[in-house]
Amino acid sequence: MKAVFIAFNQGNTERMEYLLDRLEIRGYTMWEQVHGRGTNDGEPRHGSHTWPEMNNSMLVVVEDEKVPELLAKLRLLDHRNLEMGVRAFVWNIEQTV
Amino acid sequence: MSIYKTAIEKPVTTALIFIALIILGIFSLVKLPIDQYPEIEAPYVSVMTSYSGNSSEIETNITKYIENTLNSIEGLDEMTSTSKDNISLVSLKFQWGYNIDEAVNDIRSALDMVTTSLPDGCSRPMVFKFNTSMMPILMYAITAEESYQGLEKILTDNVTNVLNRVDGIGNLSISGAPERYVYVDVDQEKIDAFGISLETVANAVSSNNMDLASGSIKVGKEQYQLRVKSEYVESSEINNIVVTTTPQGKKVFVKDIAVVKDTIKDLTLDEKIKGKDGCRLIIMKQTGANTAQVCADVQKMLVEEIIPTLPPDIKFQLINDSSDVIRSSVNGLAESIFYALLFVVLVVLFFLGQWRASIIIGVCIPISLVVSFIYLLATGSSLNVISLSSLTVAIGMVVDDAIVVLENIDKHLQRGSSPREAAIYATNEVWVSVIATTLVIVAVFVPLTMLTGMAGILFKELGWIVTICVCTSTTVAISLTPMMASKMMKTRDVIMEKLGKGKTKQEGAISKLYKRTVIKGLDWLDDKYAMVLRWCLKHKAITILSIVIFFGISLIPLAMDKIGMDFMPVSDQGRLTVNFELQRGTRIEESAKIAREIEKEMVKNNPEIIMFSTTMGSNDDAGLTSLMSSTSNYKGQMNIRTTKKYERETTIQDIAKRIRTQLENTPEVTTFQVSTSSGGGGMGSNSVDVEIYGYDFDVTSNLAQQYADMLRTVEGAKDIKISREADRAELQIVFDKEKLSSHGLTSSAVAAYVRYRIYGYTAGYLKEDGDEYDIRVRLKEDNRNSLTKLEELTIPTATGNVKIKELAEIKEYWCPPTIERKSRQRIVTISVTPVDVSLSELAENIQTRIDGVKLPEGVKVVLAGDYKEQQESFSDMAMLFALIVLLVYVVMASQFESLSKPFIIMMSIPFAFSGVIFALLITGATLNIIGALGVILLVGIVVKNGIVLIDYINLMRDRDYELNEAIALSGKSRLRPVLMTAATTILGMIPMALSTSEGSEMWVSMGIVVIGGLTVSTIITLLIVPVLYAIFSKHGERDNETQLRKNFIFFDMADDVVFDSRKPIEEHND
Repeated sequence: MKAVFIAFNQGNTERMEYLLDRLEIRGYTMWEQVHGRGTNDGEPRHGSHTWPEMNNSMLVVVEDEKVPELLAKLRLLDHRNLEMGVRAFVWNIEQTV
Repeated sequence: MSIYKTAIEKPVTTALIFIALIILGIFSLVKLPIDQYPEIEAPYVSVMTSYSGNSSEIETNITKYIENTLNSIEGLDEMTSTSKDNISLVSLKFQWGYNIDEAVNDIRSALDMVTTSLPDGCSRPMVFKFNTSMMPILMYAITAEESYQGLEKILTDNVTNVLNRVDGIGNLSISGAPERYVYVDVDQEKIDAFGISLETVANAVSSNNMDLASGSIKVGKEQYQLRVKSEYVESSEINNIVVTTTPQGKKVFVKDIAVVKDTIKDLTLDEKIKGKDGCRLIIMKQTGANTAQVCADVQKMLVEEIIPTLPPDIKFQLINDSSDVIRSSVNGLAESIFYALLFVVLVVLFFLGQWRASIIIGVCIPISLVVSFIYLLATGSSLNVISLSSLTVAIGMVVDDAIVVLENIDKHLQRGSSPREAAIYATNEVWVSVIATTLVIVAVFVPLTMLTGMAGILFKELGWIVTICVCTSTTVAISLTPMMASKMMKTRDVIMEKLGKGKTKQEGAISKLYKRTVIKGLDWLDDKYAMVLRWCLKHKAITILSIVIFFGISLIPLAMDKIGMDFMPVSDQGRLTVNFELQRGTRIEESAKIAREIEKEMVKNNPEIIMFSTTMGSNDDAGLTSLMSSTSNYKGQMNIRTTKKYERETTIQDIAKRIRTQLENTPEVTTFQVSTSSGGGGMGSNSVDVEIYGYDFDVTSNLAQQYADMLRTVEGAKDIKISREADRAELQIVFDKEKLSSHGLTSSAVAAYVRYRIYGYTAGYLKEDGDEYDIRVRLKEDNRNSLTKLEELTIPTATGNVKIKELAEIKEYWCPPTIERKSRQRIVTISVTPVDVSLSELAENIQTRIDGVKLPEGVKVVLAGDYKEQQESFSDMAMLFALIVLLVYVVMASQFESLSKPFIIMMSIPFAFSGVIFALLITGATLNIIGALGVILLVGIVVKNGIVLIDYINLMRDRDYELNEAIALSGKSRLRPVLMTAATTILGMIPMALSTSEGSEMWVSMGIVVIGGLTVSTIITLLIVPVLYAIFSKHGERDNETQLRKNFIFFDMADDVVFDSRKPIEEHND
């Protein structure tokens, strides 16, 4: 099992939900309206007057074999419009309940 | 949940709420009355008291007491009084907008307290409220040929009674209709010869004219009422009445000693229509009735129901129709609003290049506007010049919020968001700043609602309407606009290239063309502007200096008095009122003859005149009505209608000037006034009054005469009128009391005898078809037309007849003038109307002239009149302006969270006036109160543009751009919205500025002010605001990094610092 943390522009919420549905990933946790800043470039998402945009973030826990497919689709979404970028980070799940 | 999210998720509810709002608005629009101005309750109340005595007795015994009591009434603004023979009239003017009903109550209770101190025999003081419905709304001239003699009856039966059925009609009066009278003209010598008195004749006439119930009679089973009836069926029957029987047994008939005439009343009021016999029908409306509607209904009823029933020789001609001006003003303005709407949508389409977006924004305009109709209906106002001008002002503003929201939505869409998401997130990003800019507009316009006085009445509506419109538009912008965008806007189709690089698909041919032309042009403009801005930022001193010099130059015309100010524009309604006065005491027949001469000459000189009626004299020389009426035996009034403004080349002022020249050259006319606006509640009038206060009649009258002569030489001073009338000659019968008592007579008895002989004894009525006509017994004209004949009047006594000359002396006598007072001091007013000069200019000229005259002891001279009112209004406006500036500062300071930034915007306001001054100078227009309204609008727009610019500069600096670069970039990016606002407003005003419809004088000046002011101020704001920003800011002022480093020193401490556990690290040690 792997945990995938996805941070994306609010404007991609619908697409993200669609993406998970298509990949038949049922479980996820989403935090709406989160702040963030990209590592290399792009506008910060501060929800302030200066930087008004905001991100949403998701934590998706999937079987190991699903990860490459998910990341591939996320990459497509990211490249759809670079300004509304999507970032994903994967790590291991040790135990679950 | 936020309003925009709810709106987007519940599109049906949202759409229906706004549809309901539109329906309510349209419903209100249909219900709204149409009028010239907002309903203004004129704050005038008069108190009239009668008491026998001459004017100075009235002044001391009545007027003074009443004045002293009423002086402390709450809300009183000005108190004037007139003391005439037998009548005292105290007029109170209250503050505009004061509750008059309350004032009337206060006046009543104050008068109750004073009645005991008034002399015995004085009447109870009557309180009158001036009512706007006393102003005639329609005036017809009615002419007749054969039917002239019976005109009064025909008109009462067939016209006024029918017209009374029209909804909203107030008072109907017919002026100058011939009244039927039966005169019995008695020959003095004949009755003397028979030894009978006039009273005997009168008694004989009246006692043969009766209808008396004389009890009832019971006959068998029935009961009858008994009547004695012996009424005249025809006037000729009077001839055969027996007056007396001579001692010789000969009967004396009326026909033996008198002539019975069944005719029309002796001439006291001469009414001529185009020089022919006729009369005027004057129609007034009820308070609150819809003038335009009433006029239309009356006209319809006249044409459809009344005229067909009248004899064919009776002709109706319109003299004036106040609904005409109202309708054309309202139509003219409605047209302007329509064009403004069209232009705004076109401008939006031009700048955005998307028809869907333009429709969404276009929808926002009518919704915002119709809400103001609901407000107007709820407050009982009307569609009038002020409310419609306010709507025109609002149009340019209501689209701004929607544009901001839509632009941001479009930005999200271009990145490939779905319309729904774009709408939600884009609105979320901007809704706070949209509300903030609205607050600024509200800060500009809400203070207007607090204005008091005359200006308050005019501006209150503007304040509310604009406030309501922009608030509605903001609500629409954050609810309906995102909802519509989520439904109507389209996602840009994204083409995915091979390695995931997405880009939006190319659009069709039209948008390609648009991109190649308009966008390219606008981009070029942006670049050029950024270039200019960069240059200016490098040469701040030169830029500021040249702008200040420009501002200085623009002040020159103002300093040189080239810009005139008028309170209210004089409008060309194709109507003229001429009041003229002949030598005092001219008999009515003579006056009428002179009037005919004047008319003939006037028509010859002025082919534009299509209709005129002249009134000379008054119905009742001594009655109450004469106090109110402006005409008398030697004073006349002409109501003139000319062709419409656009049908002739000359202006109404030219025609007025010609008539003035003509009257100046008519030797019989002593004074005259020609006014170009009739009625309208005195709002269209313009005059400067010179008020001379002083007790001594001779001193003040002489001074007034001296001033009047002097003012005639002042340029542009016309229609000079001295309020105090010249002394009037009267004939007085002065009795010798001893002689009276020796004949067993009293003064009152003789006075009555004299009245019967001259004025007449009403000996009953002749009844015909339900109407009664006076039968009046009097001496024939030959017996009462000279001083000697008067002395020969026979007065019956118990011992036989005596002649007046045996009892009294007849003296010619100068009666004291009417005493006018203001603020409890005697006053003479000289009123002057400006022609070809502005009111303020004339007032200044007059002031310098009268300053040169040394005043006699105890005399005070002040300038007043509309000039004073204008000054008060302008000073009210200045106060208001200060209040606006303060409020705007508060809003801006809190928006920028800075005390200094708002000053940058404040300092750009004065430059808006340069444009106003130049525009007025070039067009030669004067600044009036409606123009001032445009100036306030300008302030709003300038401030808004400034905020847009500065807000963006702040933003760019927060995004770490260098100061000058931030300024140049912001300028480049904000140029379009600023140009858009300017373009929508200027284009919206063009139809207003060019309009020539009747009444357009009102708003032309506003159009000119806004167009000139906005053009100049937009250009200057675009330069001065960035440059001032650069001057006011320091490099690195918004550089938060250095600031932060100071605050968080822990980070830069050396790693090997050994901490003393008792000593904390001082982090915030700045």
